[in-house]
Amino acid sequence: MSHQRVHDRTMSTSADSTSSLKIMSSRGRKAASTVAGLSALTLLAGCATDAPQDTWKPAGANAQKIQDLQWPVFLTAGIVGVIVMVFIAVCVVKFRDRGQPIPDQAHGKAWLEYLFIAIPAVILAAIAIPTVGVVMALNDTDDTECVINVTGQQWWWEYDYEVGADGTICGYAPSEVSASPIITSGQLVIPADTKVLLRGTSRDVIHSYWIPRLNGKRDMVPGRVHFLRLESDTPGIYAGQCTEFCGLSHANMRMETVVLEPADFQKWLDNELEPYQAPAEGSLAAEGETTFIAQCSRCHQVNGLVDPNNGNLVVSYPDQFVYSGAAPNLTNLMGRNTFAGATWDLLTPECRADVWEANPEEFGDKYLAGVSQDCLNEIDLREWLRNAPAKKPMYADPALLEQSDGKVRGMPYLGLSEDQIDQLIAYLLERK
Amino acid sequence: MADTAVHADAHADHGAHHTSTGLSNNKLAMWMFLGSECLLFGGLISTYMLYRGRHSENLGPDQVWDIPFTSASSFVLLMSSLTMVLAVSSANRDDERNTKVWLSVTSLLGALFVAGQVYEFTTFYREGLGFTTSLFSSSFFTLTGFHGVHVSVGIIMLMSLVGMISKNKVVGDKKEVVELFGLYWHFVDVVWILIFTLVYLIPA
Amino acid sequence: MAIIERPSDEVEVVDQSTPSEATPETSYGVFRRPVETTGWKSWLFTIDHKKLGIMYGVVAMFFFVVGGIEAMLIRLQLAGPNGTVLSADKYNQMFTMHATTMVFLFVMPMAAAFANYFVPLQIGARDVAFPRINAFGFWAFLFGGLFLNTSWFLGGGADGGWFMYAPNSSVAFSPSNGVDFWGLGLQITGIASLTGAINLIVTVINMRAPGMSLMKMPIFTWMVLVVQFLLLFAIPVITVALFMLMFQRSFDATFFSVEAGADPLLWQHLFWIFGHPEVYILVLPSFGIVSEILPVFSKKPLFGYPLIVFSGAAIGFVGWGVWAHHMFASGLGPISVAAFSVATMAIAIPTGVKIVNWTLTMWGGKIKFTVPMLYAVGVIVQFTIGGLSGVTHSVAPSDTQQTDTYYIVAHFHYVIFGGAVLGLFAGMYYWWPKMFGKMLNERLGRVNFWLTIIGMNLTFGPMHIIGLQGQPRRMYQWTENRAGDGFFNIGFWNLVASVGSFVLALGVLLFFVNIYVSHRKGTEKAPLDPWDARSLEWITTSPPKEHNFDRLPQVGHLDEFFHRKYEDRGADGHHEFHQVATAEEVVAEEENNADAHIHLPSPSYWPILLAFSLPIMAYGVIYNLFLLLGGAVLALVSFYGWGLEPHTAPEEDYDPPTGTSMEVAAHG
Repeated sequence: MSHQRVHDRTMSTSADSTSSLKIMSSRGRKAASTVAGLSALTLLAGCATDAPQDTWKPAGANAQKIQDLQWPVFLTAGIVGVIVMVFIAVCVVKFRDRGQPIPDQAHGKAWLEYLFIAIPAVILAAIAIPTVGVVMALNDTDDTECVINVTGQQWWWEYDYEVGADGTICGYAPSEVSASPIITSGQLVIPADTKVLLRGTSRDVIHSYWIPRLNGKRDMVPGRVHFLRLESDTPGIYAGQCTEFCGLSHANMRMETVVLEPADFQKWLDNELEPYQAPAEGSLAAEGETTFIAQCSRCHQVNGLVDPNNGNLVVSYPDQFVYSGAAPNLTNLMGRNTFAGATWDLLTPECRADVWEANPEEFGDKYLAGVSQDCLNEIDLREWLRNAPAKKPMYADPALLEQSDGKVRGMPYLGLSEDQIDQLIAYLLERK
Repeated sequence: MADTAVHADAHADHGAHHTSTGLSNNKLAMWMFLGSECLLFGGLISTYMLYRGRHSENLGPDQVWDIPFTSASSFVLLMSSLTMVLAVSSANRDDERNTKVWLSVTSLLGALFVAGQVYEFTTFYREGLGFTTSLFSSSFFTLTGFHGVHVSVGIIMLMSLVGMISKNKVVGDKKEVVELFGLYWHFVDVVWILIFTLVYLIPA
Repeated sequence: MAIIERPSDEVEVVDQSTPSEATPETSYGVFRRPVETTGWKSWLFTIDHKKLGIMYGVVAMFFFVVGGIEAMLIRLQLAGPNGTVLSADKYNQMFTMHATTMVFLFVMPMAAAFANYFVPLQIGARDVAFPRINAFGFWAFLFGGLFLNTSWFLGGGADGGWFMYAPNSSVAFSPSNGVDFWGLGLQITGIASLTGAINLIVTVINMRAPGMSLMKMPIFTWMVLVVQFLLLFAIPVITVALFMLMFQRSFDATFFSVEAGADPLLWQHLFWIFGHPEVYILVLPSFGIVSEILPVFSKKPLFGYPLIVFSGAAIGFVGWGVWAHHMFASGLGPISVAAFSVATMAIAIPTGVKIVNWTLTMWGGKIKFTVPMLYAVGVIVQFTIGGLSGVTHSVAPSDTQQTDTYYIVAHFHYVIFGGAVLGLFAGMYYWWPKMFGKMLNERLGRVNFWLTIIGMNLTFGPMHIIGLQGQPRRMYQWTENRAGDGFFNIGFWNLVASVGSFVLALGVLLFFVNIYVSHRKGTEKAPLDPWDARSLEWITTSPPKEHNFDRLPQVGHLDEFFHRKYEDRGADGHHEFHQVATAEEVVAEEENNADAHIHLPSPSYWPILLAFSLPIMAYGVIYNLFLLLGGAVLALVSFYGWGLEPHTAPEEDYDPPTGTSMEVAAHG
C-alpha cells in the first residue's frame, strides 16, 4: 500500500512539471516586476510632475543636498533590486522540477556566502560615508543670516520675526520704527538667497515643520527648541504640511513658505509694520470693526486697533480661551492668501492660480497685491465664520473639554448672523 | 531501541535529568524572567535618572533623603539575602525545620524593609512630596514603588511556601522551589543595591 | 497494514468519558481536574500546545478580518479628495486601531500559533515546558484583544496612532477612554507575549529530542527562539512606558506633561526601543517559515544554514541599536542621527544574507511550485522591495523627506505584509495538512495567491509614489490643490491604492473560501507527507496525536526526516539520492517502537481564570477601583489554585490519551 503511494507521488510530480501554464505565469510576473522597477526608476530620475510637495524637486540649497544624496541611493537600490529579481526569475525558470535527479544535499559554499556579505557591506559603506557628511552639513548653522521663530499649535503655525541686535529683521531695516513685532501665521515669508534658520517649538503636542522643496522635516516639540534651515533662490510659494500626527485636524495643519526678492521682501516688511488704519466712518467695514472688537478681539490680535467707543488699545488675551494659548494674529490677514492653518485659500481658484503659477519675476508683485475684493474666496471664508468647527474638526465643544478647563482647541462656533459676517468680511478685506 | 526508551518518561514539565542542557526548566525559566525584569528596572531607573532633577520649586532629592534611615533599611534587606542563603542550604540538607525558620526570618526582614519604605513614603508625603508633585517625585515613587511591590510579592510567596512546606503540599522538587524563590529574592536585593546607589547616594 | 498496538497497560484505561479518574484529593485544587477530550470544555481548559496553537490561529484570523475592515474603511475614505466616509475623529481611531490590531492581535499571535503548534513538533517534544503558562498566554492574548476592542463600544477607540506619541496621548488631547483601553490592552497582551516567550525559550533550549544539537534545529524553531528573546527584552520596556502612560492618564502623574518639565522624547525612546525589535518580532517567524518551505520544494537543504541562523541572531541583536531611526526628524542632534543612520545600514547586511541564501537554496534545486512555495517566493520578491526602500531611508537626510509620508507606509507594508503576512499564509498552506489532515485546495490556493500579490502591489505600490509626491500619513483627507496633475498625481494613485485594497480583500476572502471548500464532506484525507518534507513534525500522524510522538525521535541530521527517507548511493564525491522509505514506513517504525507510559500534563481551570482576572482589573483601572480589587482577588485565588495543583495528575488518576492512538491504528 505504501509502495503504491510512492508511485502515485512520482506520477503527480511528472504531471506537475509538464504544466506550462505555471511557467508562463511566473515569467509574466517577473517581467512585470522588472518593468515596474525600471519605470519606477525613470520616474525617480525624471521627476516630471508637479505636486506642490514633490520631495524630488528641490528649490533650495538644503533640499538640493538631500536630493544629491538620495538619487544615487535610489538608483543603487533600484539596480540591486533588478539584479535580485532577475536572479530569482532565473532560479524559478531554470530549476523547475522537470524530472531531474534529486540534487546534492550540500549545505552551502563558504566563499559564496562571504562574498554576498562583502558586496552589500561595500555598497552600504559607500552610502554611509556621504550620508554622515550631509547630516553634518544640514545641521551646520554657523552662517545663518536670518532667524525666525516658528511655533506649532493645534492646528496652525505662528511666525515671529526676530529683530536682530542691529535693529534689522533678516538684515532688512524697516523704514518706519514700530513698537509692534511682526507676528504672522500660515505663510512664512522669507527673502530669497538668504540662509534662514527656523527656531521652532510647540505650544501643545508635537508638530513637524516640512516644506519638501526647501528641506526635510523637523519635529517641533513642546518644551524643546529645534532648528531647521530654509533657503531658496527662486521666488514663489512652497507648500508644506504638518507631518507629525497632532490630533483631530492634523490633516488641516498646513504651511507655506513664500520666497520674495530682496526689494519685495523690504516692501512686505514695511507693509507689515504700517500703522493701523481704521475703516472709513459709516462704512460697512466700520461696522465690521465694532463686530470684530465684540466677537473676535478676545483671541485675535490686530495690531494698533483702537476701540472707537473708549479710545483704548484693543489687546487680545487668547490664553484665557484657547487651551494652547494663542490665536492667529490678523493684522495683515489679507496680505497672505490662506487662512485657518493655511488649509483654505483667501483667493478664488483663478486668482490663486495666477499667483502660484506666476514666473519668478512677476511673483513678488502679484503676491504683495494681497487679496482684493474681486479675488476674495468668499465661499470658504463665509463657511468658516458661520461655523468654524464644522469646517475644520477641532475640540471646540466646551462640553468635551472638562480636562482643559473648558478651553477650546480652535475657533469655536460663534453664532454670528449673516449681517455680522458681511461686516466682518468687509473689515477683514482692509487688513492688508 | 532501548536507549531511546529511556527518554520515554519525559514529562512535559520535568526536572533536571531530562533536559537538553541539564538545567531544570523551572530554573531556566526563572533566569529568563529575571533577565526580562532587568529591562523593566532598566527602563524605570533610566526614567528616574532623566527626571530626578526636574522638580522646579518643589522638594528635590537632596531635601528629602534620610540617608542613615535608608541605609539601615537597605542593610536589613541585605541581611535577608543572607538568611535566604541559609534557607536554601537548609533545604539542600533536607532540614525542613530550619528551612521554614530561615524562610520566615527572610520574609520578616523583607517585611521590615517594606515597613521602612512605607514609613519613608509617608514621611515624604507629609513633607509635601506626593506622587504627582513633580516629575522627580512621580519617577521616584514609581521606581521604588515597583521595587517595593516586588519585595511584597516575594514576602507573600515566602510565607505561602512556609505554609506549603508545613502542610507538605509543595508541588515538585522542594529543594528546587526554595532555590528558585532564593534566586528571585537575591535579584530583588541586587536591584535595590543599584537603586540605593543611583537614587540615594549619587547626588542629583 | 499492521494495526499498531500500544503497550497493553495503556490500553486498559481507554474509557475517557468518565472524568472520575482525576480526583480533587490528588489535585489539591478547589475544582476537580477537567479531563474532557472532546467538546467545548476540552478547548477551554486544554493545555495541549496544538489545541492552543489552533485557537491562537483562529483568534488571530478573526482580528485579521477586523483589522482588514478598518483598513478598507481607511482606503474608502482616501479613495477621493475630501473623503467623507469617516469623520476626522473616527479616521484617527481607525488607523490607530488598524495598526494596533494588525501588529498585536494578528501578526504576533499568528506567529505564536505556528510557534506553539510546531516548535514542540519540530524539536521532537511532547509539549512545551510549561503547558499551563502556555494556556494562560493564549487566554490573556484573547481577553486582552477583546478588551482593547470593547473600546469601540465604550466611547471610541484610541486615537493617537499606534506609536501613541506623548503628549498627544494625554487626557487633555485625547479625552475619550480609547487610549486607556489601548494602554491596558497592550499590557495584557504583553503579559501574554512575555509568558509565552519564557515558555518557548525554555522549551527550545531544554526539550529537544535526543541528538538534536542547536545547529541541527529546524530553522523555523531557530527564528522563533530569536523572536522570543526579542520579546523577553522588548516587552518590559514598553511595559514601563505603558505604566507611565496609565499613571499619567488615570492617576494624574506628569511623566509626559511638558508644563511640568517633562521631555516628550522620553516616550519616543522607550516606545521605539521596544518598537524596533518589534519589527523583527513580526518578520522573523515568517522568515523561518520561508526557510522551511524553500528547501522542501527545492529538494535541497537550506543554503548556508549556519549563516541564516547567525544572520537571524544578528538581526535580533543589531535590532536593539537602531531604534532612533524612527526619530530622525525628532531633533536628536547630528551625531546621534549619523550613528543611528549607519547602524541601520549595517542591519541591511544580515537581512541581505537571508535573501541571497534563499535564492541560492533554489539554485540547482528541483523546484515544485505548490501554493506554499508560491507564497515563499512571493515573500522573497516582496520583502526585497521593502528591504530596498528601507535602505533608502536609512539615509537620514533622505528619511527627513520620507518619514511620516506614504512612502514609509509603502515601505513597511512591503516588509510586514510582503515579509510577514505572506510568510504566514505560506505557513498555513504548508502546514494545513499537518494540522487538520486535509489539504487546502491547490487551484483555489493559486488564485488566492495571485489575487493577494496583485492586490498588495496595487495597494501598497502606489503609496511609494504618493509618499514621494509629498502626501503625509495619518491625514483624514487629502485635497486636490496638493495633488498635482501629472502622471504621478496623488489623486489617481490614491484611487488605485483603494481599488487594490479591494482586490487584496478578495484574495484574503478566497482563503476562507478555500478552508470551506477543502473541509466539505467527502474531501479526501491528506496524505501523510504531501510535500516530501524534511523536518521532525512530519514524523507523526496528521493531525498529530495528543502526545505528538509515539517515541521521541532520535535525531542525526539537520533534515532528519529527509535522511530517513532518502539515502545517498553515490560514491567518490558523486551524489545520488534514492528513496529508501516512505513517510508511512518511517511513521510506522516509530509507532512500532512506541514508548510506554507517556505522561502528558493535565488540563487545568486556572490558566483561563487567571487570564480572565486581567481584563477585570483593567476595566477597574478605567471605571472603578473596586473592580480592580475584585480582579486582583480572582488573580490571587487563581495563583494559589495554580500553585497547589500538580502539573500532571498522579499516575493512578491519569486519563491517558489513548483515543488518538486508536485513530492511528485505523489509518496507519
